[in-house]
Amino acid sequence: MVLVLAIGDLHVPHRAPDLPAKFKSMLVPGKIQHIICTGNLCIKEVHDYLKSLCPSLHITRGEYDEDSRYPETKTLTIGQFKLGLCHGHQVVPWGDLDSLAMLQRQLDVDILVSGHTHQFKAYKHEAGVVINPGSATGAYSSITYDVNPSFVLMDIDGLRVVVYVYELIDGEVKVDKIDFKKTSTATM
Amino acid sequence: MVKKKRGVPDWLNSPIWSSSPPSKPKSQSPSPSPPSSSNGDRLSTSKSSSFNQPILTPPSSIPTPKAEIRDSSSRSSTSDNDITSSVDDFARQADLLQELSRKIVNIGELRRLASLGIPDTAGIRSTVWKLLLAYLPSDKGLWSSELAKKRSQYKHFKEDLLMNPYVSKAACVCTNSWILNVSVASQSEITRKLEDSTYPKNGDQMSEGKGLLARSKLPHGEHPLSLGKTSIWNRFFQDTEIIEQIDRDVKRTHPDMHFFSGNSAFAKANQESLKNILIIYAKLNPGVRYVQGMNEILAPLFYVLKNDPNEDYAVNAEADTFFCFVELLSGFQDNFCQQLDNSIVGIRSTISKLSQLLRKHDEELWRHLEVTTKVNPQFYAFRWITLLLTQEFNFADSLHIWDALLSDPEGPQGTLLRVCCAMLILVRRRLLAGDFTANLKLLQSYPSTNVSHLLYVANRLSSHSTQ
Repeated sequence: MVLVLAIGDLHVPHRAPDLPAKFKSMLVPGKIQHIICTGNLCIKEVHDYLKSLCPSLHITRGEYDEDSRYPETKTLTIGQFKLGLCHGHQVVPWGDLDSLAMLQRQLDVDILVSGHTHQFKAYKHEAGVVINPGSATGAYSSITYDVNPSFVLMDIDGLRVVVYVYELIDGEVKVDKIDFKKTSTATM
Repeated sequence: MVKKKRGVPDWLNSPIWSSSPPSKPKSQSPSPSPPSSSNGDRLSTSKSSSFNQPILTPPSSIPTPKAEIRDSSSRSSTSDNDITSSVDDFARQADLLQELSRKIVNIGELRRLASLGIPDTAGIRSTVWKLLLAYLPSDKGLWSSELAKKRSQYKHFKEDLLMNPYVSKAACVCTNSWILNVSVASQSEITRKLEDSTYPKNGDQMSEGKGLLARSKLPHGEHPLSLGKTSIWNRFFQDTEIIEQIDRDVKRTHPDMHFFSGNSAFAKANQESLKNILIIYAKLNPGVRYVQGMNEILAPLFYVLKNDPNEDYAVNAEADTFFCFVELLSGFQDNFCQQLDNSIVGIRSTISKLSQLLRKHDEELWRHLEVTTKVNPQFYAFRWITLLLTQEFNFADSLHIWDALLSDPEGPQGTLLRVCCAMLILVRRRLLAGDFTANLKLLQSYPSTNVSHLLYVANRLSSHSTQ
């Protein structure tokens, strides 16, 4: 059972001052094993904060990130799943599921995590699952109205993933879950 | 040298209270014939009756230990005065064996015999301790059924609370320790059982179709980051902390002993057993959980029970030790509970009882320690009391002291306080001559001493308390 935090598009300090207090109180070190970050943090302080939550931190470059050394895409294997990470501004049209599916086949991963649209989405297609954790600070976006702060926590356990979606709606944290399994002989 | 101060009883002025070794051979000779005849004379009567034993043939039901006794009595020479003590040991051993061979063991008699110390050689310590801790009933006929019942109960505890990992270590890309993997895997079992019972599965195979994945409500608002006190996840993370602490403490237990530490498979298995017992105890007692120091109390218990010459008992030592540990700790649980520190049953009140005991028996020493040099008994007595003196003496000696502690019919605390008091009185000359630093240094690393002598003094204190 591995807990993986998927988070991104914080846009600190340009579009938002910090994570919402309720999110911050829940994110304590010691519980999460990996953090995958879609990008657009943007500054080093946020990087250090995420590092303090968990030493295993994976980030891809968003277009406003000040650290230019982050890669464009990243793949990693956790348990039985291959995860792919990409910010999403490179995939045009932004947020288009077919184009993201193309990227997923290119990276050859079961779960693709990408952001940029600042809107939570969890979508399944033949090649796998696409998860968009949204924006953790609720920063404004040119393509989404009324952004709710959100992030995603995945519980990877053997061939099954439970995705917990944390959203801040009207000042209250709402948590939903999504369940999916992978066939053991996946030839995707 | 003899201070004629009021209030110091005469028997305290005798040279047997000296702590320096050369005077010991002199002091040993008065001990078989105690100076004051007003002593209950339990010791002298038991000696006179036991001296008959070597002459008579021992009970024929135990022929083999007799051979052991013969060999070992020539070898057992821990004290200065060899002959007296080995004959004592031999006699006591024969007494104990006779008592144990009865169909219904007389616990009161066993307590009396055990309070003088159980000889190491006959391998009966494990059985005697089990009887004294009421793990085994006094009727021998019930032993096998009781043991079977308790052992299966322990097995169920283990299954419920320490579930087997089904995620193999290789598959888990987990940066935390292996212990975390084990308990983490069991935790996901628990959440899966919880979820499966509340709503039907909706996990489709990933290869079928496409579309937005359905979101579903959480049962009971349970999610991994929940901070609620009743949340399974929150409790699980707290459990993990405790398990990590137990792991650290067990690794540090008795690093000098091969039984507990080192890289051998034997030591690792023993450490596993210790960990299991402590984890199950912590989970079953949410009020006390695990406190540092419990591992020190568990260690001698497990050592004795594991080294039982009876094969069957040694194999099941873990289950037996668990119940004995629970029994032993039940009297001392209050010492470990922080909220009870200042209450009437807490550790502070126990320490003040010790202080009062010292005052009663040796007012001069008490005054010197507490008033003149201001050595607060908390500085030294805390460790003595909470860890049942395991840290003050070497391992073999602490087993002897535990014989006396466990044999007290009213619970170990009374004898514990008397032994602590005796420890203070035995070094009184050095304490009276020392200042705060010297006294504290002396008491925090108590000098090694003859343990049988110490126990004898502690015994005397109980009989003199009525004077």
